[in-house]
Amino acid sequence: MSVHAGAVPGTPHEGHMGFGEEDPAAGRSNMLLGVKLGILSEVMLFGALFAAYFVIRSESGGWPPEGQDRPELLLPGLNTLLLVSSSVTMQWAVRAIGRGELTAMRWGLRATLLLGSIFILIQGYEFANNGFGLDAGVFGSTFYTLTGFHGAHVLAGLAFISIVVTRARHGLISAEHHTSVEAASYYWHFVDVVWLFLFSTLYVL
Amino acid sequence: MGAVLVAGIQILPVVASREAEIEDAAFVLLTVLSVPVLMFVVVGLAYSAIRFRANGDEEDGPPIHGHRGFQAIWLVVSFALVIGLFVYGALGLVDIRGAQESEFQVQVQAEQWAWKFEYPSGVVAKELHIPVGERVHLVVTSKDVIHSFWVPAFGIKQDAVPGRPTQIYVTATVAGTYPGLCAELCGSGHTGMHLTVVVSERAELDAWLSDQPGPESSGSEPPA
Amino acid sequence: MSVRRPGLRRALLGAAIGGAVGAGVLIGAQNAGMQIRDGQILGLAYLLALIGFLLGIGAFRFWVTWAAGRPVDVTEEHAAHGTAGDWRRYFRFTTDHKVIGVQYLVSAFLLFLTAGTFGMLMRVELAQPGLALGEDAYNTIMSTHGAMMITVALISIIGGLGNFLVPIMIGARDMAFPKTNALSYWLLPLPILLVAINPLLGGFDTGWTAYPPLSQQANLGQQAYLMAFVTVGISSILSAINFLVTVFRMRAPGMSLMRMPIFVWSLTVTATLALVATSVVAGAFTMLLFDRVLGTSFFRPSRGGDVVLFEHLFWFYSHPAVYIMGLPGLGAILEVVPVFARKPLFAYPLAVLSFIAIGVLSFMVWAHHMFVSGMADFFHIPIMLTTELISVPTGIVFLAALGTIWMGKLHFKTPMLWVFGFIWAFLIGGITGVYLADVPTDITLSDTYFVVAHFHYTIVGGTIFGLFAGTYYWFPKVTGRMYSERLGQLHFWWFMLAFNATFLPMFWLGIEGMRRRVADYPSEMGGVNLWVSFAAFNIFLSMAVFVFNMVRSWRRGEQAAANPWRAKTLEWQVASPPPVQNFDHIPTVSAGPYEYGGGAGVPTEGRAVP
Repeated sequence: MSVHAGAVPGTPHEGHMGFGEEDPAAGRSNMLLGVKLGILSEVMLFGALFAAYFVIRSESGGWPPEGQDRPELLLPGLNTLLLVSSSVTMQWAVRAIGRGELTAMRWGLRATLLLGSIFILIQGYEFANNGFGLDAGVFGSTFYTLTGFHGAHVLAGLAFISIVVTRARHGLISAEHHTSVEAASYYWHFVDVVWLFLFSTLYVL
Repeated sequence: MGAVLVAGIQILPVVASREAEIEDAAFVLLTVLSVPVLMFVVVGLAYSAIRFRANGDEEDGPPIHGHRGFQAIWLVVSFALVIGLFVYGALGLVDIRGAQESEFQVQVQAEQWAWKFEYPSGVVAKELHIPVGERVHLVVTSKDVIHSFWVPAFGIKQDAVPGRPTQIYVTATVAGTYPGLCAELCGSGHTGMHLTVVVSERAELDAWLSDQPGPESSGSEPPA
Repeated sequence: MSVRRPGLRRALLGAAIGGAVGAGVLIGAQNAGMQIRDGQILGLAYLLALIGFLLGIGAFRFWVTWAAGRPVDVTEEHAAHGTAGDWRRYFRFTTDHKVIGVQYLVSAFLLFLTAGTFGMLMRVELAQPGLALGEDAYNTIMSTHGAMMITVALISIIGGLGNFLVPIMIGARDMAFPKTNALSYWLLPLPILLVAINPLLGGFDTGWTAYPPLSQQANLGQQAYLMAFVTVGISSILSAINFLVTVFRMRAPGMSLMRMPIFVWSLTVTATLALVATSVVAGAFTMLLFDRVLGTSFFRPSRGGDVVLFEHLFWFYSHPAVYIMGLPGLGAILEVVPVFARKPLFAYPLAVLSFIAIGVLSFMVWAHHMFVSGMADFFHIPIMLTTELISVPTGIVFLAALGTIWMGKLHFKTPMLWVFGFIWAFLIGGITGVYLADVPTDITLSDTYFVVAHFHYTIVGGTIFGLFAGTYYWFPKVTGRMYSERLGQLHFWWFMLAFNATFLPMFWLGIEGMRRRVADYPSEMGGVNLWVSFAAFNIFLSMAVFVFNMVRSWRRGEQAAANPWRAKTLEWQVASPPPVQNFDHIPTVSAGPYEYGGGAGVPTEGRAVP
């Protein structure tokens, strides 16, 4: 195996060895492209769920159907504020590490985790007190499937951010090496945007 | 549109409705167009297989990467064919759908695994009887899963969808008895889910209807 | 291979434990009086079995290490790449794209033969009028045949040949994400097994299309199919991400996009379709699963659901899916023609454009599967237009193939035979597609054997013929040995004749009124059906020739040179089989891949980047 002079596009990412031909910058950029493509695929998943919601809603007599009430706006409204703020803290963390400010980044990530966790708790509380379940005809079906998938994505995002925090604690994140922070931020903003759509279409409109 | 019989060719086995006539004409046209396309490729291939066989010659062929003119002609011709076919098909479809009005409406209900027909007078029967030469409106529904109402002789087919009635308008042109079939997999009785359609003059139809058990029937008119 | 090291044995143990835990927890809950459906037990058991399997094969260990902030174990990473000559690496979580390619290819062929067996059982039932196996059994056998064949068509070329060859063809050392690549493969065994055993779970009788409400009624085998399909979908999406990043970011110096082999282009468009469309069917199947298992009503009209909604969502993916199946075959065919005509690929830039056009248009035609579904009448017209339009770029594939053949120097080795076979078969498929695109004729033909014949001509003619052309063509590169040319010719002719004898009469059967997905038919059609069954049996027999040739040649075939076909693409400039690292030096490319006839050739490896 010979080392090749000059930059050659390679596979490696943070700390992963290739075949003696390393271009970590290319590897990191590949990773971020991969994350963006993955997010595109997830957008299509939510697209299918939203399409189902719109079709079903347009075909039903009234919305919500007879005898069902839409959830109150207070808690979801609060949740919207929480998630939007968490995107701000997330972005702050990314900017911070870009400038090499490790501590600021860690605070930003922790804030994001906190806000996201409160979101989940409030949603859980809201679900428990909604008065209708997944099996309450199409209203319950669409509501809980959409919010449920979104919630699952939030949990996955929180897990990802926790991993980034762990890696930071082990000294593996720096101004030069912070692909995972950027990747997490793409994902987290995506989750936030989906929530904005959800909030407007499920709760408000 | 009307029927186009090319040298008397009929492709559909039975043509007994206005709609089937339009469709059969489309079949004939498509077949007539397909033959030269098929010949062009098959003859081209066969000729090439013989004429351009390497037969031990290890030299490369000529370095031809393309031919602007030929490519352009190919694109233009295929595009023109497609547009032509589309226009013909669209006009044909509009013609088949025809006038969405009729004076004889039957409710067709599918269920696992049989058909039921409800006539304007309220009679419910297992056979479909319709008048010849008149426009008939079928409203198709299903009680359970998706079925599909198909009468090959009439060239009509429409799914029976639970929760959503679908419509068929048809004008039968030849009196007789015709088979019908369920054309959407609906479980373990799908294979045998058949029906019979009888096309007859109004008088015969009315007589049959008044023979059927069920609500008082004074023929095929809806109750006054 | 003990169970202390990650490997297949530990994976199977993990699956068994996961399944047992999942089932146990819910059965326990059921016994304790909680309302638990059978479907929920199957669901949780499968999910935990899948996770257990992946844990056992060691799919997650590198990511777990990374997540925990521990230093990378370099030896472990290198070992995961696999050592040449070690046959065990095919049964492990190996990250070398060449190993993964072979894993996909062999698995796909085994699945193809299994699916073919189910097809034979179908033809046993249909050989004569009357019921032999019974309608229930037939429906499950037919559905399983379809589900398995579709899986083969989706994964065999891009997962098998694509994985092995694309990095080498573009001058890279591996795919962008080797571990994800291995994960894509190891996500497959369990769902495939689940589909294979679905008859034991009660079978499913809806066909691969799984339309509700029938699919809400059907037995647990239905759920097995739905869960398996979603799993394969996830594998597909991961694979697609890998392909796209690899092709767009890892080409060797000098390999511009318009110098990429046409095969790579076809897989790039395929991957884009897979990335964008698959989640939609995953969503649809998930909603259906929820209806079955969690009491939702997406597709229950009595509770506000919409049955036709499922059809729209399903076909929005499943039409692009047929191009996910077909494009790799078309790419393989166009890759082979220049080599055996000794002539550049005719109209290469136009062919590339056509693949892209097919990809884009494929998202706009889905409702042609729904012309008689009762959907809004106005929608038929635009869909008829887009469907007819898609035949223009598809026709360019013929232009490229025929233009290359014309005035070439034709060498009729086995790969080239498959090219000629493809041109015939895919042409028949394409022409008959026009009958289905045209709504007036489709009304009669929909749900008949005409459709069955059409899609077998396009998918077998496109994907399977392409798969065979590619497998024979690249056999020396992958195995380092030559296949038997005589047996290859025998396989081709037997398969080709049997295939046409089987499916050509089906067009007539369809026009005469024989529906698809039925276990019986009018007795007047008995003669033709008997012939079809006999011909189909011959397809099956011809595959024995193929398997024998492949196995024997791999073990004892004549050693192959690096470039036995004197081809110009990069994979032929390295040894057969390629070294573990693919290239000693990443080459610099200074010409296109089809410069036959005295044009500039692709330089061999060894040129340094200035």
